[in-house]
Parts: sequence; C-alpha cells; structure tokens
Amino acid sequence: MQSKSPARALQILLLCFLWASALQAQDLPPLTHKLTPIRTPSVAPDLIFHNMDEEKVDLKDYRGKVVVVNFWATWCPPCRREMGSMERLYQATRDSNVEILAVNIGEDLDTVFSFLGTVEPSPTFPLLFDTDAVSMKQWKVKGLPTTYIVDSEGRLAYRAIGGREFDHPAIRKAITALGQ
Amino acid sequence: MRSLLTAAVICVLPVFYPVQAQQLQSVNDVTGARSWSRTHAGVYFSLTQILPEQGDAFYVNRGFSLEQIRPFTTSCVYMTVLRNDSAPGIVHFVRGNWSISVDGEPREFKTVDQWVKKLTAAEAGKPALIAFRWAQFPPEQEYEPGGDWNQGMLSVGLPAGQVFDITARWDLRGQSFEATLTGVECAK
Repeated sequence: MQSKSPARALQILLLCFLWASALQAQDLPPLTHKLTPIRTPSVAPDLIFHNMDEEKVDLKDYRGKVVVVNFWATWCPPCRREMGSMERLYQATRDSNVEILAVNIGEDLDTVFSFLGTVEPSPTFPLLFDTDAVSMKQWKVKGLPTTYIVDSEGRLAYRAIGGREFDHPAIRKAITALGQ
Repeated sequence: MRSLLTAAVICVLPVFYPVQAQQLQSVNDVTGARSWSRTHAGVYFSLTQILPEQGDAFYVNRGFSLEQIRPFTTSCVYMTVLRNDSAPGIVHFVRGNWSISVDGEPREFKTVDQWVKKLTAAEAGKPALIAFRWAQFPPEQEYEPGGDWNQGMLSVGLPAGQVFDITARWDLRGQSFEATLTGVECAK
C-alpha cells in the first residue's frame, strides 16, 4: 500500500468491515442445494498441494473414499458463506467414507488462518494451498466457488458452480450414496 | 366456458414461464448501494453497485496500492449475479456477447483480460492479480438448472452518475435469450 496514512488505512478497514456486514445483511443471493451429475464421468485431474501443516496432500491417496474437492478464497463471499455448511457435512459424514479437500486459490497461510476464526463451525477438514492458481485450468474452474465430488474410484461424479448449502439433506444424501 | 379457460391459461402461464418478469430495484440500508435485478426464462440476473471506496477497501486488502486499483474501482463496478434457477437446460454465456448502451448508443467495456494486462503493467503483485482475476464475473460459463450461479465483479467503464442499459445474453439448446436491465446508474 503506497498510501501510508494511518487514518486512511483505518478508514479502509472500517469500510471493509461495514461492506462485509452489509453484504451479510442484504444483497446476498441464496445458496442453492443441488449437485449436477456429470454425465460422462472421467478420472479427476491431479491435485497435489500442501496443507496448513505444509505437508504434501495428493488426491490419489484418497482412492476408495468419496472426496469433496472445493475451490475457494477468503475474499469470495459465497465461498465464505458455504464453508460452515461444509464443516457440518464433514462432521455428519466422517463415518461414511467421505473426505473434504478445500483448495484455497492464491492466498497464504496467515490469511487463511485468520479467516478460519470467523467461520462457525470452523473447518477441521484439510485446507490446501494453490498459491499460483494452477488447478483452475486443470479442473476447468471458471469461477469461485466451484466444487466437484470425486467418487471412490477417483472419477468426477458431481459438480456445483456457485455457493451451496452443503449440509442440505439433498446434497448429503447424494454424497453419502456415492460412498456406499 | 371457453373464455374462462382462456383467461385461466393467460393467468397461469407467467407462473410457469416468466417471459420477462418485472425489473426490481432496491437500496442497501447500510451502504446506500443500489441493485437492479430481473428474472427471465428461469435465469436470474442482477447488478449491485460497488462503491469506489468499497472496491478500494477490497483490493487494498488483497495487496494493491490505491494508485494501482483506482482506475478499476472508479470505472463503475457492479457485483453481478447470473443464476440458472429453472431454465429447461444448460445456460451458456460468453460475456463478450453482452452489451451496454447509453441513450440507445452502444458503448464498449473492457474485458477481464484487458484489466489484468493493465494492472500487470502497473506492477501489481502476483497474489493481488490472482485475487483480481478470480473476483471478476467469469468471461464464459455454463450453468446447470437448479442453482448453478456465479457472483463476481463487472466494470462497465462509465463515469460516476451515468445511467445506462445492460443486456446479458445466453444460449440454451441452440436458442438465444437475453435480459436487459434498464436505467442502471453508476455510483456517484
């Protein structure tokens, strides 16, 4: 930031807070709750990134499980809104062979860590870091958030473009059915 | 009896197929930002003003300097939503086919790539540029019915206070559709 005035910085932070609050209160389109079946399931593209503990995570290691792969960023309003429902889905399906990998696009660990405290319930599933946004092209993501459901054989089974209520019964049912 | 049936069909038809529903407008009580929206053929389209100070706050927090981002945030920017609620198939759009007009005269507006090039030339950092690129409304997308949607920023490149019309266009099973928001105003 080249404009270093503390008053200006405070003003911007305050505006940011007010804007976020206002967006929470109004103007927000509803999160939807339908997953689109992928008509000709293909093998999921590679997905190898570091997690918050800076350990390498590879989607291939989850073969045998149903994996929800979510592409998101902290600055993306629908991504923020759906994160809590994803954690509720995670808690409800942990015994149903379901895993969630949320791939953050372009941000660093500190930014994501600060964001986690604002989510209720706070995510406990693995968060991965695609700092160069390379996965967007590989996974044909054109906007955030985008979510794919990968079946236990590593194929793309469902897709969702835009924010979802992931703990909605319809979504939960579709995902758990894949794991059975 | 026949006229009764005809009247019933006329009354019920818009419920199942809203040809060009009424344009709605609202004002955010907190920010004063104005919104315009319309649902056409099962597709919801809306624009909400992003005030220049709001845009500054968002992008400065993403790593831009005010000097770098001001040309964008003062270019009449909207939070744009397109959502396939109930169209009978996949909605596909290319943002390059959308148009704006002022008093009936067409106006050009910059693409996302043009903005990214401009900000790259202004030596914005990589994380800031990634956030900018992915915060924009997608240049092209496909939405399945039942709720696929995006929310992103759209700059129309007009001065503060300018009133204009914007037409979103999409295709569905080879047929073209469009929805126009009229009398949209750039934030002052």
